[in-house]
Amino acid sequence: MKKQIFHIDRRGFIAGLASSAAFPAAIGSSVGSAFAQGQTPKHGGTLTTVAWPGTTYMNAAITTSGPESFLSPKFFDGLLGYDYGMVEKPALATSWSISEDGKRITFNLREGVKWHDGEPFTSKDVAFTFMEVIKVHHGRGRSLFADLETVETPDDLTAIFVLSRPAPAIMKALDGRESPILPAHIYEGTNIMENPANTNPIGTGAFKLASYERGVSIVMERNPDYWDGDKPYLDRIIVQYIPDASTRTAMLESGQADVVFLNFLPALDTLRLAESPDFEMVEEGYETSASNHQMDFNLDREIFKDARVRHAIAHAIDRQWIVDNVWHGFGVAGATPLHHEQRAFFTTEGVPSYPYDLAKAEALLDEAGYPRGANGVRFDLTIDPTPYGDESLIAAEYIREQLRQIGIRLTIRTQDYAVFIKRCWTDRDFDLCLYTAAMGADPTIGVQRFYWSKNFKPGVAFSNASNYSNPEVDELLEAAQVELDPEKRKEQFAKFQQIAMTDLPTLPVVHTTRATIAWRKVKDHTVDAVGALGNLANCWIEE
Amino acid sequence: MNSGSQSLIARLLRHPSGLVGLLLLLLVLGMALGAGYFYPSGPWSLSGSPRLWPGQNPALPLGTDSLGRDLAAGLFHGSRVSLAVGAAAAIFSVAIGTIIGGLSGYYGGWIDDVLMRLTDAMQTIPSFLSAIAIVGIVGPSLVTIIVAIAIVSWPMIARLVRAEFLRLRTYDFVQSCRIIGMSDLRIIFTQILPNCLAPIIVASSVLVATAIIVEASLSFLGLGDPNAMSWGTMLGNGRAALRTAWYMTAIPAAALVLTVLALNLLGDALNDVLNPRLKERS
Repeated sequence: MKKQIFHIDRRGFIAGLASSAAFPAAIGSSVGSAFAQGQTPKHGGTLTTVAWPGTTYMNAAITTSGPESFLSPKFFDGLLGYDYGMVEKPALATSWSISEDGKRITFNLREGVKWHDGEPFTSKDVAFTFMEVIKVHHGRGRSLFADLETVETPDDLTAIFVLSRPAPAIMKALDGRESPILPAHIYEGTNIMENPANTNPIGTGAFKLASYERGVSIVMERNPDYWDGDKPYLDRIIVQYIPDASTRTAMLESGQADVVFLNFLPALDTLRLAESPDFEMVEEGYETSASNHQMDFNLDREIFKDARVRHAIAHAIDRQWIVDNVWHGFGVAGATPLHHEQRAFFTTEGVPSYPYDLAKAEALLDEAGYPRGANGVRFDLTIDPTPYGDESLIAAEYIREQLRQIGIRLTIRTQDYAVFIKRCWTDRDFDLCLYTAAMGADPTIGVQRFYWSKNFKPGVAFSNASNYSNPEVDELLEAAQVELDPEKRKEQFAKFQQIAMTDLPTLPVVHTTRATIAWRKVKDHTVDAVGALGNLANCWIEE
Repeated sequence: MNSGSQSLIARLLRHPSGLVGLLLLLLVLGMALGAGYFYPSGPWSLSGSPRLWPGQNPALPLGTDSLGRDLAAGLFHGSRVSLAVGAAAAIFSVAIGTIIGGLSGYYGGWIDDVLMRLTDAMQTIPSFLSAIAIVGIVGPSLVTIIVAIAIVSWPMIARLVRAEFLRLRTYDFVQSCRIIGMSDLRIIFTQILPNCLAPIIVASSVLVATAIIVEASLSFLGLGDPNAMSWGTMLGNGRAALRTAWYMTAIPAAALVLTVLALNLLGDALNDVLNPRLKERS
């Protein structure tokens, strides 16, 4: 990661000042790491964190939005957890097996698990959650579990998924964030979206809701009957909702917050604090929420029907420069439609890379029949950056400058979020559009939607906006949807990455990464692939 | 008033705040005019490595922003946008305000009632918030921003002009114009208006300053024209780096402060110079 460092002395002084004011005792004793190997976790303590925006619900089975994704896993468990590399590990299911033909997945459930209200957890809850809630109300679940015909419950501790065809991607979407298990006895026979338990959660999770002030704060307290040994270690987790990013920084620095997850600080503040010995920055634990910032070419535009024009634009944009200067190092230069954290499938082997080369870009445009006019301009284009955060707009400003150098006059259009979504995915009134999208725990969940011709659906946000259609790509994506052999799936996605980058309907700009920044006394907040989007049951505070 | 522009400028130059204001404003005007000459590649070109502090590279005396754009180039080109928006918005709102205030004051009666209630209604709306709303709905471009600022700032001029018209229309010279059969429009534009130019000029200098600030605030909030580099755009860009590179915010902020100060000083001086009752004092 490239960092620009100026005036370290003054900055170190300020950071030291802030920490000494808040924690006189912590100075000098802050040795060790968040991964406290060999240290014995201690019970007790309150973990305070800050976030924004506030939440609408407390479970993520009925929504895919961000605040719920963070809260839900604390109150609710999933069938599975995920170790680094998205390797399945037990949670509410202790073991599982997939039939030969891939159409039956049997989960053996954990014994003795109780809901927060004392009722026992059974296979009925699993069947109800998937069939009545996630298949109906969850944004991604609707398509991901489309092939799930029924969940059989031969006894209280066995749940069998019956599929109309194999769906290996399901196995990566069973954690407490993506598919939290809800209590059937609370939700059955009610209007699920209106159920009061949506804001007063009754789960099996490590924490219970203690108090909730809408838009201000949430206090969770330890679930003493949690099934996982003597976990959780923390007595309490407090989430405070703070709209201003600089205020969040000040709260962390002054000790009013212990940890900040999910890039809720300005990137430059995170980097500044990371240099201080009192803080530790961790970039792991965000595998389930890997996101790409990408640029769609509207292939309905005559000018983009020629691949050379798309290639020329790719050659003119130095993606590494964008990573270094717009994302401040929190990312990797865009290389393929997948995200590098999709470790099992991501590959750059044999994938065209379009290195930064203005001369080549100009040559391609000349070849495509777009010479520079008298005023040095070849043609005009517009770009629509996402009006969410600053990065997209700043990246668009950089792209405009780069395209100017190869003779393309680019105009930036800004609008509010609703207009942006409507323009790109309903009206299709754009040339280039720039946005961040979650790539999902599995490429079938997050990547396929942008490249699959059957997902060209005007009116559906984050579908195939470029109107890309290549039968070979369709075939590969559909085969990978149902392929059970991991090696074969890997080959299918490798081939897909090569073709998609050759056709280039969408330019992957940045594979973004996220960071957690915490006081060093906070231990074990990130221990697996889901990190802060897990239950934080392993997290403890050293005093 | 009829002592000629020559002596008006001479009197302004003798006035201490007038002199300072005029010089500062000339400096900013010089920047705006010279921007294309000094920085022909425009304010957006990536001319150095990002986040250079002022003085670190002699070729880029004011440093660069987070993308490596020359802050000096931004300052020069930004002065064009800021001044143009300020001036255009002021002209627009003076035009609207003068017409509404003039008609209201000259005719009185139900025209006055209708127009003044409209003005009152406009004044109850918080002006900056409604500017945000207008730009938010129509979409940010220089023209919308100018129109939005004009729409929210004309009531002040309208009330000022109405008061002047109410006073002047009873004067003998207006009465005599009526008697010789001069048309209403001719009386309004050739007789009364020239006699209330002084307060309008003073008010518009303040209006230009306010318009520049409103444009900067809108851009700071991300509602500026993304294709025009103004000082507000620079402020907004530098905001994220406030803790690590404060110069990115301080430099355009200083330019804004000086320009607004210049306009206010000039306004004060004009008030003193143009107001016959205060002539002895200046």
